[in-house]
Amino acid sequence: MKLDYIAKRFGIFLLVIWLALTVIFFLPRFSTQNPIREKMNQEMLRGGYVQVGMEQMIEEYESKFGLNKPLWEQYGTYLSDMGRLDFGYSIAHYPKTVKSMLSEGLPWSIGLLGMTTLIAFGVGSLLGALLAWRRAPQVLRYLFPPLLVLSAVPFYLLGLVLIFFLAFENSWFPLFGGYSPGTVTDWLSISFWGNVLHHSFLPALSMILAGIGLWALTMRGMMVTVQGEDYMTMAEAKGLKGSTLFFRYALRNSILPQVTSLVLALGHVVGGAVLVEVVFGYPGIGTTLYHAIREFDYFVIQGIILIVIVAIALGTFLLDVAYPLLDPRITYRRA
Amino acid sequence: MKKGILWVLLSWLIVAAFVLASCGEAVPGEQEEEEEEEEEEEGLKEVSRDRTLILIWSGTEGRYVDHELWNPFSIGSNHQNGPGIFYEPLYYYSAFADEEIPWLAESYEYNSDNTELTYHLRPDVTWSDGVPFTAEDVAYTLNTLVDLGPAVRWGVDVEQFVDEAVVVNPLTVKIKFNVPAPKFHHFISYKYDIGVYMVPKHIFEGQDWTVFGHFDIAEGWPVTTSPWRLALSTPEQKVIDRVESPDEWWASKTGFADLPKVERIIYLPWVGETQTAEAVIKNEADASLDLRPHTISMCMEDNPNLISHTFHEPPYGYVDWWPISLIVNCEHDHFDNKDVRWALSYFMDRDELIDVAYGGAGTASLLPWPSYPSLDPFTEAISDLLEDYPTNEYNPGKGEKLLTDAGYTKDSEGFWVDAAGSRIRLEMLGWAIFEDIGPIISAQFRNHGIDASYASPPDASDRMDRGDFDGCLRGHGGSVAGDPYFTFRMYQSATLAVPGGHMINYYRWHNDEFDRLVDEMAITSMAEPATLKELTHDVMEIWLEELPDIQVVEWYHRIPMNTTYWTNWPTEDNMYVNGAFWHLTFGMILNELEPAQ
Amino acid sequence: MNRRILAAMRYTRRNPALAVGIGLLLAILLFWGIGSIFVPFSRTSALSVPASRAPSWEFPLGTDRQGRDLLAVMIAGTSLTLRIGLIAGFIGIFIGTILGFVSAYYRGAVDTIIRGSVDVLLTVPSLLVMILVAVALKGGLTVEGMALVVSILAWVWPTRTIRAQVLTMRESGYIRVAQLSGMSSPEIIVKEMMPNLLPYLAASLVNAVAAAILASIGLEALGLGPMESPTLGMTIYWVLHYSALLHGMWWWWAPPIIIIVILFVGLFLLSTGLDELANPRVRRSV
Repeated sequence: MKLDYIAKRFGIFLLVIWLALTVIFFLPRFSTQNPIREKMNQEMLRGGYVQVGMEQMIEEYESKFGLNKPLWEQYGTYLSDMGRLDFGYSIAHYPKTVKSMLSEGLPWSIGLLGMTTLIAFGVGSLLGALLAWRRAPQVLRYLFPPLLVLSAVPFYLLGLVLIFFLAFENSWFPLFGGYSPGTVTDWLSISFWGNVLHHSFLPALSMILAGIGLWALTMRGMMVTVQGEDYMTMAEAKGLKGSTLFFRYALRNSILPQVTSLVLALGHVVGGAVLVEVVFGYPGIGTTLYHAIREFDYFVIQGIILIVIVAIALGTFLLDVAYPLLDPRITYRRA
Repeated sequence: MKKGILWVLLSWLIVAAFVLASCGEAVPGEQEEEEEEEEEEEGLKEVSRDRTLILIWSGTEGRYVDHELWNPFSIGSNHQNGPGIFYEPLYYYSAFADEEIPWLAESYEYNSDNTELTYHLRPDVTWSDGVPFTAEDVAYTLNTLVDLGPAVRWGVDVEQFVDEAVVVNPLTVKIKFNVPAPKFHHFISYKYDIGVYMVPKHIFEGQDWTVFGHFDIAEGWPVTTSPWRLALSTPEQKVIDRVESPDEWWASKTGFADLPKVERIIYLPWVGETQTAEAVIKNEADASLDLRPHTISMCMEDNPNLISHTFHEPPYGYVDWWPISLIVNCEHDHFDNKDVRWALSYFMDRDELIDVAYGGAGTASLLPWPSYPSLDPFTEAISDLLEDYPTNEYNPGKGEKLLTDAGYTKDSEGFWVDAAGSRIRLEMLGWAIFEDIGPIISAQFRNHGIDASYASPPDASDRMDRGDFDGCLRGHGGSVAGDPYFTFRMYQSATLAVPGGHMINYYRWHNDEFDRLVDEMAITSMAEPATLKELTHDVMEIWLEELPDIQVVEWYHRIPMNTTYWTNWPTEDNMYVNGAFWHLTFGMILNELEPAQ
Repeated sequence: MNRRILAAMRYTRRNPALAVGIGLLLAILLFWGIGSIFVPFSRTSALSVPASRAPSWEFPLGTDRQGRDLLAVMIAGTSLTLRIGLIAGFIGIFIGTILGFVSAYYRGAVDTIIRGSVDVLLTVPSLLVMILVAVALKGGLTVEGMALVVSILAWVWPTRTIRAQVLTMRESGYIRVAQLSGMSSPEIIVKEMMPNLLPYLAASLVNAVAAAILASIGLEALGLGPMESPTLGMTIYWVLHYSALLHGMWWWWAPPIIIIVILFVGLFLLSTGLDELANPRVRRSV
């Protein structure tokens, strides 16, 4: 039965990926924009000179990229390329390959956003659990309203305000970027790491502040439900210590839906980061993707979104398979 | 319960540690890095700040994507981002000084009917790997461009004129044209952003020009005749060092020119106006891309060492070769009527526009070519026409009269409609750079009864190319010197003089007589100014009456130049060349800069 | 009548979130209502007033670089942004309710398809899809166009939550009775389930509106919004475009942020309050 279930889940995993890929393929192409024309015009805009023979150049590169073939043929090539993870060249930054663009931006996105999501999740869930716990210190109650307020604010606006007060008025933190312009990325150097952490503080802070409230709230909700359960009363009656009750009973049973959301959130780390990266000028995948969308750079869009979807779908799939292990109450009989 | 509190405290401690760590190990004080950091790296030699030129320029969202591309013919590369100084030209041309400066070539001559152009190259020029620069390189470059055509930059431009380039002897190359091309020499000389680069045959031969990067620092690539060597190129910065001794550069070796005083150039990516302003104020950068008038005046107040082309006075910059105009689609309803076009011109208050958008630091554009010294005589030649057709006049009365005479009336909401009741609806397109002026022009038109709006959609370029617009804001990249032919060429709907040389006619305007006259100009040599002026007068008689596009403002480059470390920048007192360091004429600036300390 | 008011007021003591939320939103509506009487809409156009002025008696919130009266812009922007949120929110709830009901009530293949689509679409980062759509549309957007773009994914989350609710309700006693008594399915849905679902729908609507406003501001701040409309997001875009921060034009960037914060906090508290109203088990004084 288990194998059956896993196979079914895997099938859905593949289906989801295929569907997403198809949507991503067709959506940009439905607009009648021509990425090569956009690219040529960008070049023209830089120098102010319209190349004679631009039409011919556009035709030349259209055939080079296979954009003048019928749509179905392009779709077929696209699927086989994606299957082999051959993302090809970027149109807007030819001859740069999509893979090199990905490898340049991915570590930053994952680094900053992965870290902040995990921190916000950890601190927020703990806080939320404590807030629901009757025997937690009262002082925490006072934290709740401001956190609620913060979580309601769009984090990029929070970021703008933080930039103004902490970076502009007071120069404590840098205005922009992942690292100071002009440094060499030397991941072995401590001072480089220091520089990176210094630059990541503000984006991280705004995301953590905005995220904590949300995690706290949902965790609190779960804890309240769990506290009402019979086994909790039983455990209390048994005379177990407060902390044991808190961690081994209440927390552990409430954490499951939170973890599901966490997986989704981590998957979204890449896509949802666009605004953070734009406001803070962080050199991650989000801005690469945003620019690719504006430039109609099909191949970059496809490459990045594939990675995002695979990450999320993989996470969901693994979670689905692991669920019965985490919560023995859940069994999977056919509906 | 105490354990619970402990857990909470622990989590906060972790966060606090994170905070402290970042503060503690942060780079002291400064917002941006200097080369104090760089000197720690291996491989880069030490160069002091006062011999370094730091430029903030380009990049995407704070980093470079083309740092591995040093082959300027590939369409992904951009000579503005560094490669420009690595490829020296046969001739430089300075629009301000109206001077031709022979560089890798010593002289040139055309044959009698302009079908052959011969260059005599300078002897003793060598590439950085020791191989001599000869006519082989020039011929190879031009012939390959003819072969590759639309696959590379400048390919079609060269292909449509050149039949083949022949090596007569190692120092002489003869270019044979398939149609008379008296303006070809001017075309391939470096001026502004136009010019054809000469590449080393022994490196480029056999490579696929569309993907070849010419990048390998260990090998000494890019190979160059200039005194510049690439030291480091990463997404974060590009570091270019000058050669150590005068013997390593042909010009200083033969005494033709002195070695530049700049010993190192660092390109840093453009991050945003705010950050760049901070950097120049703090002397962490010496020059950058244009700043807005309000911003540059503020920077100069904060740091008096900063100057602009016009020092501390408005317009804080120099006129670029790109005058801005409002193009209306002459094939669409309403705009096919020249009276409507003239009415729009009369409704536009350029003074108010410059006042609001630029704080008064700008000028209106009279004609579709910039007000450069060598083109001024042509503006003079048509001054009589300009009296009858004042392209910059703000006169709503005249505009209204034109519209009423053409059968337009105002509807109940105050907008002009024609006899059939259709409103003059003017949706203007543009790019982000025009967002300062677009909405203001739109507001002005609305105040005078035209149903106008402005937007910068992502597919603006596409729509402009295909003619899917009512109006758009654009700049003209036409003539800079000699004669207005390159400007007029943009308005032709067809050309017989230059087969395959048809450019996109954004205005969608057709006039056969105009086409014929401009074709005549195409084959007239620049050495016949009287004929050219006469032709210009004839051409403009048609153009001014029709007004295919409405002139708005001149485009200024307001480049902040920091005199803390470097002086002798190009300014209005010292106009040896245009100050944009990203243009192909940057080499000329580099040769002139003097250290301040 | 008095007793009802007293009861309501007593309730708000137990549910402060609801009261504060409604209060904040009322404040915003008042700001817009009174403001639009005194400040003409024409002042939101460029060139309507002198540009780049600091706040004064004549222009309490100063003016921007293109000659717009920022007080007028804030007032107009609030209503425009709210309008986008409401349109998209209602569309989202409308579609979400239908799909949620159909999916949960009829089960079977229909349910699998709808649930599957919802799951897939939840994995896609919504902002990116909206950017793709906004970029693919021809020309510039209008305010209504913006609302439509935002509503493209606005139905996904409501469908999920409503479906979950209906699933639970479906098994309850009174529904069985209704089925046995011969009521047709549509009748059951409308007469029995809907009234019980109203609090959830209300909470979902508030959430959908908030999400829609957030998305629209995001899109506008990136430059994909209706350029000539003085929405709050477009004001943020101009602030970034003109580096208002650098020039110390605090009267330009602070008001929109403050209004947006009040708006979101108000909506959030309202949603929390409605949650409590709908689900007494979560009732808990903070």
